[in-house]
Amino acid sequence: MTVTDNSINAAASASISLTVNGEQHRLELAADTPLLWVLRDHLGMTGTKFGCGIAQCGACTVHVDGRATRSCMMPVEAVDGATITTIEGLAPRRDHVLQTLWLEMNVPQCGYCQSGMLMAAAALLDDIPAPTDADIDARVSNICRCGTYPRVRAAIHRAAAARNGGQ
Amino acid sequence: MTDVLLNRRQFLVSASVVAGGMSLALVSRTASAGTVSEADTVAEFSPWLSIAPDDTVTVYVPTGEFGTGSMTQVPMNVAEELGCDWAHVRAEFASARRDYLEGGPYAIGSQPFFTGHGTDHARMPYALQLGASARERLKAAAAQRWSAAVADIQARDSVLTHIPSGRTLRYGEVAAAAAMIALAEEPALKPQSEWTFLGKASPAKLQLPGMVDGSAAYGIDVKVPGMVYAALLQCPVQGGRLRHHEPEAVMKMPGVRAVVTVDRSGTAGSPVTAKATFGLAETAVQSAVAVIADHYWQAKTALQALPVAWDFGEGADWKTEQQLYDDALARLDEPAAMVLREAGDVTAVTTGRAVAADYLTPYCDQAPMEPLNGTALVTSERVDVWTPCQDSQQAYWVAIDETGAAPEQVFVHRTLVGGAFGRRSFSEDVRMVVAIAKQYPDVPVQVIWSREEMMRQGRYRTLIAARMRAVLDAHGMPLTWDARACQAGNPMVSLPLGFADAVYAVSGAIPNVRIGTTRHPYHILTGAYRGPCYNSHAFMVETFVDECAVAAGADPLDYRLKLLADWDPAWSNCLRVAAEKAGWGKPLPEGRGMGIAIANWPMAGMKQAGSTVCAVAQVDVSRDGKLTVHALDVTFDCGRFVNRDAVLAQLEGGVIYGLNMSLSEEITIRDGAVVEGNFHEYRLLRMADLPARINIHFDALSGHDRFAMIGEAPVGPIGPAIGNAIFQATGKRIRSTPLLKHDLAWG
Ligand code: FES
Ligand code: FES
Repeated sequence: MTVTDNSINAAASASISLTVNGEQHRLELAADTPLLWVLRDHLGMTGTKFGCGIAQCGACTVHVDGRATRSCMMPVEAVDGATITTIEGLAPRRDHVLQTLWLEMNVPQCGYCQSGMLMAAAALLDDIPAPTDADIDARVSNICRCGTYPRVRAAIHRAAAARNGGQ
Repeated sequence: MTDVLLNRRQFLVSASVVAGGMSLALVSRTASAGTVSEADTVAEFSPWLSIAPDDTVTVYVPTGEFGTGSMTQVPMNVAEELGCDWAHVRAEFASARRDYLEGGPYAIGSQPFFTGHGTDHARMPYALQLGASARERLKAAAAQRWSAAVADIQARDSVLTHIPSGRTLRYGEVAAAAAMIALAEEPALKPQSEWTFLGKASPAKLQLPGMVDGSAAYGIDVKVPGMVYAALLQCPVQGGRLRHHEPEAVMKMPGVRAVVTVDRSGTAGSPVTAKATFGLAETAVQSAVAVIADHYWQAKTALQALPVAWDFGEGADWKTEQQLYDDALARLDEPAAMVLREAGDVTAVTTGRAVAADYLTPYCDQAPMEPLNGTALVTSERVDVWTPCQDSQQAYWVAIDETGAAPEQVFVHRTLVGGAFGRRSFSEDVRMVVAIAKQYPDVPVQVIWSREEMMRQGRYRTLIAARMRAVLDAHGMPLTWDARACQAGNPMVSLPLGFADAVYAVSGAIPNVRIGTTRHPYHILTGAYRGPCYNSHAFMVETFVDECAVAAGADPLDYRLKLLADWDPAWSNCLRVAAEKAGWGKPLPEGRGMGIAIANWPMAGMKQAGSTVCAVAQVDVSRDGKLTVHALDVTFDCGRFVNRDAVLAQLEGGVIYGLNMSLSEEITIRDGAVVEGNFHEYRLLRMADLPARINIHFDALSGHDRFAMIGEAPVGPIGPAIGNAIFQATGKRIRSTPLLKHDLAWG
């Protein structure tokens, strides 16, 4: 897939390749475009959210080569060639243990921050299978204005227990 | 209730078919509705309800969804009586346009299109009745099909069963026939004791799956073919005007298509009398410039490069927020412009111990996580607007007013809302979107506010200053309470709630009461903020009562119980249970304190009304002034609940919102402009910042027959409970928020 904007400023334009949720993309666009807007505007994948644009809130969290990354301040040229996973690609059938528990425990309120929450939590569980409260505090520092924090924390602990018990 | 189902596109063709003792009237479609094929047509039972051949039940909900679950609650209310399988139920947004054009089919209860309030005392019985009516019509259709008596037919789990023969039909199989039937008489609702779903089950929000896999569509996720993007900049000082800009400087930048300016003179005006929920007075555009480009990042980049000069206007004379505070406080030296409540004579008592203090709560930003945005396509034929609004009727009339288009030409497409908390009530954002898009006609334009633009161009929580004075009798109880406020908000958000109707003012416990207010808005624009004004008044009143208790040498819990002795006992019960759960009265180590507070939204002045919430806070304050909130024990009385987990979620969220508001939120001003632009400057609580324990107790529910709204009430008592706990810990009385701004060092 190639997306070209009508740039007349060739100097700022770059040719970028990305693998997003297993699909390869080639794009011609301004090199400083944040990954967030590449995903949302150029690739039409709107699950990744814009909240602050300055890497404060975590709504835009995706996995870049497996690491939780706030995509709103990540210039696309810095992730050229990278493998990206977004909320749409977290689990093909919406059956990641966190998604299952998020549904069971009614975690989201408005839901806007939740893709970022889930992506941060998923990366945490991959790195630390049985996170402590302090691990969660440190690694899931996303903002939720609706105040879903108690449920997010509880769901992460339950997910860890389910995964570890299931092994 | 009898004409609930009289759809005006249907008419009676024959009356009084009697089956099984139920009197029926057959109805048919008008010719213009065309022929109806039973096999493939979704049958409309009412503008609120349709059933498809595959059994899918669609409920058209006027109250939208921004996180509280009303798009699930209203269908739940319908499903209870309809007897359908919940797995077949979907929710859709009801159309404000249809409501207007068809004479108000959704105009049930107050503010019918305002988000939330799925258990509104008028809408809830209406939805139950819709379900009951549709159920009886389905039974009647089955009775006709089988030539059987309606009384022999049972409706349950989306299946109609003829009891004597065991024959069955799915709802979808007779829905088209049933929708043609009008009942001569509305069925009675079941008593609440027979509910099998409401109050029993806590189903997840219908929109939840999309929220965990990224497919849920908020306003910012709207994609319309050919859509372009706009980035927006309004005058940094609210009320100022664009003086000069140089579009040529950016027109050749990548992707840029247009630079447009916006001001009030562009508003066309509604061709008919507007019926906007909140009126149009608070929806005027601020002077602005916007860049339209192929992609948002291009628009934003070009906007940053655009040379712009402003006339800041008079607002710029306010150098700091402190000048505004000082001005508002100085206005309290004068008698209040409006006396809101008066009992006895506060001036008659001249002897006794006096307690007097001033209080202040600042401007705050609602800061929902989804930035303001909207998409509009304006052509000569019609206007389409996609918006994450809080009230689609408001949005509809704002769009009509801005374009001057006829109401039938305007289509507002509501989306899920990424948080609102009042910020999206008035739809001045919709006006801005339309004002920009109409200058780039025939192309869909999506306008996205940057976080900085949104936070600095807020419609803030009303700034309120108040002065209170009480004279205590020999036992320390108040003989007089004289309170006046200066509310620096627009008239829509200068509300008396929790002040004029503060429970201590109306309970009769204080013989002489005078409560008054002066409205004095500054150039800083205000709007609804979760529990408007109540959230400030609760802090002021509950801090003041605590001061009276201390002056009387009384325990703050006992003091409140005494003041409320002759009031609705549910209040005292909330106080007692919260205190008991928190371990009130046990000795505490040095530097630790416990505080209590109680408030009610939106009916503090009435018994058995609204939602009462009581909080007990436990805090530690170190000698050098570091505050730690360890625990919050919260009790509440909303009467009863129909979805326990949804109520719990609102309490959890509301407590955290109240905590954030009280601890750290304040919008500050430099030369008339708002300083805070993003979350590094305007601190929102994160997981690591929460108290170790937030305990929500259901034990104080009165069981009274109401399902009062629960989203706003918990925001009120949290701040004063913490402030009162700080006093117990340190001896320092905090009379303004944010609490963390104060030096709490002691000893
Ligand atoms: S949008 Fe990226 S961290 Fe907030
Ligand atoms: S669920 Fe609304 S911001 Fe987190």
